[in-house]
Amino acid sequence: MKTKFLMTAALLAGLAAFDSPSLAHHGNAAFNLTTPVVLKGAVVTEFIWINPHPLIKADYKDEKGNVQQWIMEMGSTVSAQLIGWNRTTVAPGDVVTLYVWQAKTGAFAGRFNKVEFADGTTMRDTQTGGDDGGRADRGVRQ
Amino acid sequence: MRKACTGIIAGVAGALLLSAMATAQTAQTNTAQTNNAPRSPWKYYPEDARANTGDGGPAPKRDLSGTWAGESSGAGVRNIVRPETPPPLTPLGKQLFDRNKAESSGVLIAQSNDPHVRYCDPFGFPRNMTDQIRSMTITALPERTFVLLKFMNVWREIWTDGRALPTNVGARGRDAHDPTYNGYSIGRWEDDFTFVVETTGMAPETWATEGGYPHSIDARVTERFHRESKNDLTMTITMDDPKLYTRPVKLGTVYFRWIPSQTFFDFSCVPSSVQMYLKEMADPASGGK
Repeated sequence: MKTKFLMTAALLAGLAAFDSPSLAHHGNAAFNLTTPVVLKGAVVTEFIWINPHPLIKADYKDEKGNVQQWIMEMGSTVSAQLIGWNRTTVAPGDVVTLYVWQAKTGAFAGRFNKVEFADGTTMRDTQTGGDDGGRADRGVRQ
Repeated sequence: MRKACTGIIAGVAGALLLSAMATAQTAQTNTAQTNNAPRSPWKYYPEDARANTGDGGPAPKRDLSGTWAGESSGAGVRNIVRPETPPPLTPLGKQLFDRNKAESSGVLIAQSNDPHVRYCDPFGFPRNMTDQIRSMTITALPERTFVLLKFMNVWREIWTDGRALPTNVGARGRDAHDPTYNGYSIGRWEDDFTFVVETTGMAPETWATEGGYPHSIDARVTERFHRESKNDLTMTITMDDPKLYTRPVKLGTVYFRWIPSQTFFDFSCVPSSVQMYLKEMADPASGGK
């Protein structure tokens, strides 16, 4: 039993070592990386294609009808390009579902995880976290 | 105990296997997607660089010229070996190191004083050879070799005409050599496949590493570029700075792979953009200003 536990622990540790985000530019310590917040039916208001991090702004209406104005960052433009993004991948007016690792402060801000478009296709960030140059995720719209 | 060790070994082996399988699967998916997609002749495709497996044959003699992919290129290049830790600091070195609040030490962006993270300031050398390693081009004139870094569009000049390093950096007087972001570099071929570069006179306000290791004007950095084959180039880097370190400090090993298309994306951190990013996103998200 103990051996099985140790094996599992070592396996998980090994996977974590291979898949953990690299804190290459701006890190992710400010974000809650356990479960992404899902913003269904969010309306993109701005897609700012800048370095070091592109920003997505979107309005999300909560269950009480209040509009939350969100902002989220991605990997760099280069890392995003490596996995198929460009400055027109999302655009103002797009109605989408956004997955975002929210700031621990509770602000409507976070690290972008992925977007689901109205046609069912998806684009992901470089990975669930750091800017690693696109090694961890293929990110092609699918 | 033996069972526990066996378990750990099996677990790590399992992790390695799963990771390799995942990588292979990703590569296959990318290839499939790539084959069906129209290709632009003007773009860099990381899958092309990944597909260029093997050593490509013997390295040409005394030739590093070309465009190379680094660890953050998406080309599957090995991760760099990071600077040794803890750094062997003198008391003065520790005093300077303690002032630097690097994100890699767990500091949030709002509390960091990394001049690059906050202002897009140039990394300066030697940090620009170990941080954000995406793509590098090397080219040579008869008496100079140039290292061109895509990240922040940096170019370094390395004199190969046999001159010595300046001995009066930072001194007073008209003929003294002022420190610069990239310092002053000289290079020589140690053998047909190993190019050794020595540099001094780097601006002391820059960090030597992403982790905030300090350096003085008198720091002397040695890079050894070794081309093992047509496709493989490895650079090891050490810094000797007796004022701040008790012995030469290993700053790492950086791996590069030949890019078949010889092209890469441009990437600059832009000061006005980072101010927008910090104001609207990073500082509020990390409980800062």
